[in-house]
Amino acid sequence: MGNELIPALDAFPIPGPTWLFHVLLVFTFFLHMLFMNLTLGGTILAALGQLFSGGKADDFRAVMAMRLMGINTFGISLTITTGIAPLLFVQVLYQQYFYTATIMIAWTWLMSLVFLMVGYYAAYLYKFKGTPTKGSGGTAWLWISAIMFFLIAMVHVAVNLIHSQPDQWGALADNPMAILGDAAFWPRLFHFVLAGLGFSGVVVAWWAARQAGKGIEVELNTKIARYGWKWALWTTLLQIADGFLLVMVLPRPVLLGFMRGGMATMLPFTVGIAFALGLLVMLAKVSNPVEKFSTVNGTLIGMIVTIAVMSITRHQIRAIYLEPVTSQFRLETAPQWGNFVLFAVLLVAGLYTVYYMVKEVFESRAAGQDAA
Amino acid sequence: MDYPIWDIAMGGGVLMGIVAITHVIVSHFAIGGGLVIAVTETLSVKRNDPEMRNLAKRSSLVLILFSTVFGAISGVGIWVVAGLISPAAISALIRNFVWGWAIEWVFFIVEIVAALVYFATWNKISKRAHVMVIWIYFIAAYLSLVIINGIVTFMLTPGKWLQTGAFWDGFFNPTYFPSLVLRTGIVILMAVAFMVWPARKAADEARLKLNRYLGKWAVVGALISYAGYRWWEAALPDTVQSLFLGKGALLDGLAMTRHEVMWSVAVFLVLSIIFLLLMPKMAKVIPLLLITIAAFSFFGTYERLREGTRKPFIIHDYMFSNGVLVQEVGELNEKGMLSKARWAARVPATDSVEMGRQVFDAQCRSCHTIDGYLSIRELAPEDPDMTYSILYALYDQGEMFTALEPGEAVAMGDLNYPFMPPFVGTEEEMEALVDFIASLTTPEGEAAAKGGV
Repeated sequence: MGNELIPALDAFPIPGPTWLFHVLLVFTFFLHMLFMNLTLGGTILAALGQLFSGGKADDFRAVMAMRLMGINTFGISLTITTGIAPLLFVQVLYQQYFYTATIMIAWTWLMSLVFLMVGYYAAYLYKFKGTPTKGSGGTAWLWISAIMFFLIAMVHVAVNLIHSQPDQWGALADNPMAILGDAAFWPRLFHFVLAGLGFSGVVVAWWAARQAGKGIEVELNTKIARYGWKWALWTTLLQIADGFLLVMVLPRPVLLGFMRGGMATMLPFTVGIAFALGLLVMLAKVSNPVEKFSTVNGTLIGMIVTIAVMSITRHQIRAIYLEPVTSQFRLETAPQWGNFVLFAVLLVAGLYTVYYMVKEVFESRAAGQDAA
Repeated sequence: MDYPIWDIAMGGGVLMGIVAITHVIVSHFAIGGGLVIAVTETLSVKRNDPEMRNLAKRSSLVLILFSTVFGAISGVGIWVVAGLISPAAISALIRNFVWGWAIEWVFFIVEIVAALVYFATWNKISKRAHVMVIWIYFIAAYLSLVIINGIVTFMLTPGKWLQTGAFWDGFFNPTYFPSLVLRTGIVILMAVAFMVWPARKAADEARLKLNRYLGKWAVVGALISYAGYRWWEAALPDTVQSLFLGKGALLDGLAMTRHEVMWSVAVFLVLSIIFLLLMPKMAKVIPLLLITIAAFSFFGTYERLREGTRKPFIIHDYMFSNGVLVQEVGELNEKGMLSKARWAARVPATDSVEMGRQVFDAQCRSCHTIDGYLSIRELAPEDPDMTYSILYALYDQGEMFTALEPGEAVAMGDLNYPFMPPFVGTEEEMEALVDFIASLTTPEGEAAAKGGV
């Protein structure tokens, strides 16, 4: 392919070695995924639960929806916060491709922020005004929120596919929406949606099983735990099929490049698949999560590890997609090590502050001190 | 310039202005609100004052709904819009200041978690712990301002960075500290503008007390803002001051905006003294609305002035507002603008008008539209010779920039069009641009363009 549409590299060098930004991009993307799964999958699961509850406030599915959205009004905020860092680092490494892709679908890309705002405020409206115990309207707010987050996922998948395929830019320039017809678009989109549903299902089951284990509303929590677990099982099964399809529809050079990557690419990928199959077995083995809390715990940890490993694979696949063009540009670097160290120190200090604050809050609550 | 061009009728600058101004109002409230709420709750605990506590509690709902949702999303929105309309500029900023932004992100995490914890734990944890959370929130929020202020001021006054390219030279630039003082005043103004509304919900007697309390904050905020603003003005280089200061200001519009800045802060101060401090009983909806509008007006006009004084640059003396680097003007004059405009010139031009449209897309589109904001059809003269002479004058401006020695700056008063980037490109491209503009502004041109001549 020609490189005639790829913008020039920025004149200013990158302020650190490229490997460092790759590591930071993958790590912060993984953090973002944890919260994003709850935002996307959790809201869809809550909307479905609310729907199946038939609007009865005491139905276990409606209670599950309330719990999920109780977390989500905070979780959405953390999804945005953790999303800022990968958005920053992707611009450092993939400036030429990322900006081009976003400008090609400029209005759609910009609208994703409007979707986010509508989705977030709808989540708050459900929490404050719409939950079944506080009157009707809950279902509508939830669906608005869920649809908005689904649309955002579509926009992000589109940007990702466009920016990693500069050889398609010429064809997409006059009709960028044709990216919806890319063979990888829908399998990729559902890869995220199914992961979100599965992860949220396990989180719901974990929380409910924990409550039931403490003897709190045992009957209700058992129902919720079983329900969440069932969602996790079926979506993980579908996820494996979808993941297989996603590999199959990868462009042949990308697939070959991935296979020839040796340990670097095959190890995380194999570990990811092994974990996914392992998760499926664990999910299938347990029928009542309340009775097998250690397995539930292990499944949750296993899912987090799978997300981490798959974040690496995703990053590698992008690199292979772009390899024919990135190999023709040389990224100049001029490391600002002092600033990096300052960032690292402040990151540790900031996370410690968060830990200290949360610890103080919990201790204060537990001690039953004079309430604020 | 070498990215795809987003054809937006309202103009990219207008969209950026809308997103940026609404964001900064909310984000500065998020900081100032944090300070005033922290002090208010601390005092309420010390004095055992339930009304002060209620003010803090009601304000915290406003804080969380505005800052963690709208503030956070519109903050990302600034990045998104900047990436769409000025990708080269945002890329240059990120490459220089990525660690600054990464540090700001750390403060942002602390700020957001503290805000969520604070809001969720009213009446659930000890007063001491609750007050601690809001102080952590405020400190983190203010530190994020300390960081972003360095990047924002850099764009107008990059200072020694132009010679050294060093992070800290760009960060602690000539307007860093004046701007930090000014924004410290502004955050208090924003806090007052938002918090007078939850204060209205208090019972009669308590409302008077809370109004007086917020009135004191208003006076302090206005005085700090004014001092910071005057210091900021004084710290600007002569070339920038000449655009809007003094009797012979080069840009009337900016000089007028400066008057609006000064009047807004004066009105805010006077109204706050009258309605919050002296006659708090009279602080009904209209006076409070006027106080809020005056605060927003001060901040909004200042931001407009700051953006306007950067013309014709997006990063002063380094990158013009259309993404052309000062250092590449000479090369592009030789090789042609279209040699770099990969997307604008994606399809080879078949005639001069088409080539002119490509030059327009690559060079002018970041500010001008055809028929929308800053419409070239309306602004350009009908006489092609006149257009040619304007473009030639703009070409000469480019020559002035290329002739500079390191550390030198062009005196804006020496420029015929101080708010415009130079024309960059070959003689053929200039003539093509004249033909394209003529195709928009003259009936003959339009007919020729339609006929494909």
